[in-house]
Amino acid sequence: MAADSEPESEVFEITDFTTASEWERFISKVEEVLNDWKLIGTSLGKPLEKGIFTSGTWEEKSDGISFADFKFSVTHHYLVQESSDKEGKDDLLEDLALAVSPAALRLTLSCAAAAACCYSPELRYGLREFVVIAPAANSDAVLSESKCNLLLSSVSVALGNTGCQVPLFVQIHHKWRRMYVGECQGPGIRTDFEMVHLRKVPNQYTHLSGLLDIFKSKMGCPLTPLPPVSIAIRLTYVLQDWQQYFWPQQPPDIDALVGGEVGGLEFGKLPFGACEDPISELHLATTWPHLTEGIIVDNDVYSDLDPLQAPHWSVRVRKAENPQCLLGDFVSEFFKICRRKESTDEILGRSTFEEDGREITDITHALSKLTEPAPVPIHKLSVSNMVHTAKKKIQKHRGGEESPLNNDVLNTILLFLFPDASSEKPLDVTTSADNSNPPSESEEYNLFNQFKSAPSDSLTYKLALCLCMINFYHGGLKGVAHLWQEFVLEMRFRWENNFLIPGLASGAPDLRCCLLHQKLQMLNCCIERKKARDEGKKTSPSENVTSIYPGNAGKAGDQFGSDHLKDTDKEKGEVGKSWDSWSDSEEEFFECLSDTEELKGNGPESGKKGGPKEMANLKPEGRLFQHGNLTLLQNGEPLYVPVTQEPAPMTEDLLEEQSEVLAKLGTSAEGAHLRARMQSACLLSDMESFKAANPGCFLEDFVRWYSPRDYIEEEVIDEKGNVLLKGELSARMKIPSNMWVEAWETAKPIPARRQRRLFDDTREAEKVSYFLASLDFSLRFVSCLLEQPEVIVIGAGCGHAGRIIHKLFVNAQKLTESSDEAAALVPAEEEVKRMGTPEERRQNSASDFPPPAGRELILRATVPRPAPYSKALPQRMYSVLTKDDFRLAGAFSSDTSFF
Amino acid sequence: MDEDVLTTLKILIIGESGVGKSSLLLRFTDDTFDPELAATIGVDFKVKTISVDGNKAKLAIWDTAGQERFRTLTPSYYRGAQGVILVYDVTRRDTFVKLDNWLNELETYCTRNDIVNMLVGNKIDKENREVDRNEGLKFARKHSMLFIEASAKTCDGVQCAFEELVEKIIQTPGLWESENQNKGVKLSHREEGQGGGACGGYCALL
Repeated sequence: MAADSEPESEVFEITDFTTASEWERFISKVEEVLNDWKLIGTSLGKPLEKGIFTSGTWEEKSDGISFADFKFSVTHHYLVQESSDKEGKDDLLEDLALAVSPAALRLTLSCAAAAACCYSPELRYGLREFVVIAPAANSDAVLSESKCNLLLSSVSVALGNTGCQVPLFVQIHHKWRRMYVGECQGPGIRTDFEMVHLRKVPNQYTHLSGLLDIFKSKMGCPLTPLPPVSIAIRLTYVLQDWQQYFWPQQPPDIDALVGGEVGGLEFGKLPFGACEDPISELHLATTWPHLTEGIIVDNDVYSDLDPLQAPHWSVRVRKAENPQCLLGDFVSEFFKICRRKESTDEILGRSTFEEDGREITDITHALSKLTEPAPVPIHKLSVSNMVHTAKKKIQKHRGGEESPLNNDVLNTILLFLFPDASSEKPLDVTTSADNSNPPSESEEYNLFNQFKSAPSDSLTYKLALCLCMINFYHGGLKGVAHLWQEFVLEMRFRWENNFLIPGLASGAPDLRCCLLHQKLQMLNCCIERKKARDEGKKTSPSENVTSIYPGNAGKAGDQFGSDHLKDTDKEKGEVGKSWDSWSDSEEEFFECLSDTEELKGNGPESGKKGGPKEMANLKPEGRLFQHGNLTLLQNGEPLYVPVTQEPAPMTEDLLEEQSEVLAKLGTSAEGAHLRARMQSACLLSDMESFKAANPGCFLEDFVRWYSPRDYIEEEVIDEKGNVLLKGELSARMKIPSNMWVEAWETAKPIPARRQRRLFDDTREAEKVSYFLASLDFSLRFVSCLLEQPEVIVIGAGCGHAGRIIHKLFVNAQKLTESSDEAAALVPAEEEVKRMGTPEERRQNSASDFPPPAGRELILRATVPRPAPYSKALPQRMYSVLTKDDFRLAGAFSSDTSFF
Repeated sequence: MDEDVLTTLKILIIGESGVGKSSLLLRFTDDTFDPELAATIGVDFKVKTISVDGNKAKLAIWDTAGQERFRTLTPSYYRGAQGVILVYDVTRRDTFVKLDNWLNELETYCTRNDIVNMLVGNKIDKENREVDRNEGLKFARKHSMLFIEASAKTCDGVQCAFEELVEKIIQTPGLWESENQNKGVKLSHREEGQGGGACGGYCALL
């Protein structure tokens, strides 16, 4: 055929040169172009791989031709593959299957929704190669039906003449409508590509059953019963302009949301460390890839298509134009963090929404903890519980996927982080968190790198380093997430087993460091104390001396520990006896200390009224070291500095919380009094320790150690002329019933170790652990969202992420009610309204999703056309229904040999 | 009254025990003097609105205990402060000598480096002065502080000290505006201060 056509056209041109009509010349030009591009002849391409429509590269070449003085451009679009492809029947079949892939659908939708996209035809019809003849000038259009038909005829003739098997399209109507019709000819087959485009969706075609009707009537299949039509449906929900309600500063609203049960809101805001909300839209596509006619019902009164039930969910975001930073750019941005810190702050600050999922401890928790020390409910989870849950989660997520970090790398890192663990196996390294939560991670990065650093060589520093390295070299964000998970597990393990965390300065959290570092230090404090307690219990329950905290007052520590140990050991027996003698009558004075648990077994201790004389009978306990040369005023015994309880270590968020509480007491005298009382626990504890260590002491003695300037000494010359030192309390200490005196009178001689703990290490450790864990879980695919065009939501509507997304939509709908046009098919005109109403009704009955922004359906069948005895050929109709766009694109093939 | 308040400033008063921190504050806020003011436990808190150059500023003033033992508690209150009043007793040299310790502490715990520091020599009404005014001046100059001598008892210099401090804070760009705007975003100013500090976030980024 191809061989024949050339001489013919040559002859034609030569002999009939002058009489050739514009139409004939146009056809010949088309043929010429096809020849030039070597699109003549048959060759079957390789089967397409799934996703090729989005991942493959499209190339094109153009040429200009004219029909009389009307200029057209001819463009050949083709997907670049290893071998050049030609259109064929098999390809078509392939394409039909392929075009169902969500990626293809997505692109299609975005094409339909977004601006011009020259690839529309291939996706609507599922092609990989085609030629388009379109008016060259943007303003030109082929409008009238006769002209369209003329063009189509030209195409048909040209294809017939050349034997070209590449589909040839003609763009008709205005360009913006992106209407293409075309034809493809193969041996014995002809496929017609037809398209319908309307601004409004006809009421009867808003649903599957209507579209099926069209499809069937278009096929005009002579067979009964019809071969089954296979259906792929994709509903797309768009969440738009969310910054409108989440982003701007509306603290009251945010508070309300934090407190309320509204969940899932944070999905959009939290994950992206960008200055402004980098996401302009969230698209959720719920897909049913393989349905058969009759399985589901979708008509104007009822729909089975509950997005929650869709087997396939995927999400993608449309990023705002040039957001200042995307998570995807995170690696490169990492070093430029300085520039964007304020805005990150804002994100952190604003993101204080709460997830109400029980199991889903979301990063927002962490964020709110970071930024709002105000009440964040700490769920009553024990640490071990959390570990358990975490492990479960990990296992759940492990699935078939490869762990992003291989164990070697992981082990190396863990050893680097925890050098002390080299001999022991610190944790089950087998766990592999595949797709957990990078976003939290990156927030974390920001946190400790930009706000405050951590000492170099500290664990925090190393962790940051590792995370950074991993991000670069070992699996990116997933790897980072994996490491984080391991890290959190390790932390929990260490808390539960009393292993101190290495690489952290001991002592209270260093407020100059980042919060994470502080938290880790806090955890270490907890571990330290728990360890001390546990060891104490093991050795001797009543007489453990391990409660000497080395850091005490910065100057204690070295001496006397052992001395006093011996003392107390000896006197152990007597203690109980002697205490029994003062006892119950004093109990009404137990005011601030009420920890009966601690007192149990020791008998009630007293001393309030037990003046120095009686107290002197007590055996001293809890001495740390002798305080210079000072002696007790009453009996001349050396004055001992007692072992005291360390004040509770605080991280900055706790401190903030506390100072807020104190400030709220106001400035009145009562407020001041209350404030002092609240803070007197430490004073009281010290007084008790002091009394225990210095039997027979007075307040004067205490003050000489504690607040020396409040003991005023004067040299007095007695009658014999000797110089004597006479001292007394300062005036302010002598004020009757001032709080110092009050506390002194209340204080009972109890050594620090038997006092109620000022610092509840268990509780604090749980808080820290919770803090870490909450950084840990994630909307795991969020990072993927930014890296890949589209992300599959694992578990679809039933998974974690799915639920969150669902909430997101539900919420958005609540918030916007009726006004927001983003997520809904807004009925602007009556016609649409009629359509919209049943639509919404159906939707609402099915789920709380807004009406889908777009509905795409692909109907396919293989039937013989045009006659019953014709070859069975693939028939396909793609339809997309959006707010203001209704398109049907049919590719109907018919047998050209047997009809 | 609150509507025309330009900003809320956090002021901290520190110094050795018994130098008259609480007395100074009481004189300033309530214009009274109580020779028998109980020793502060932990921290105390007072609020006063002050007008400087027509600008109203609400001062949240944290008064701290001077005792060594309490000092472990107070660093938290340094955070986010825009001004610090460091007090010594002119009649007790030891309280002056200890100033260096307090400055160290300040440097350690303050979250911003442009914070305004004021040195106040208190109790100038007393006769047994041990620290000369020039010594105080010298110290203040060396550490770029505001300096004033005062007496909470006689009211000398007290009002002036606070006004001066507030004026200076308001004149310092970026010290209070951001605080005002970023209310609720507490991380912000912390980090700013740290960033400019000796070894803040920048180091880690290089």
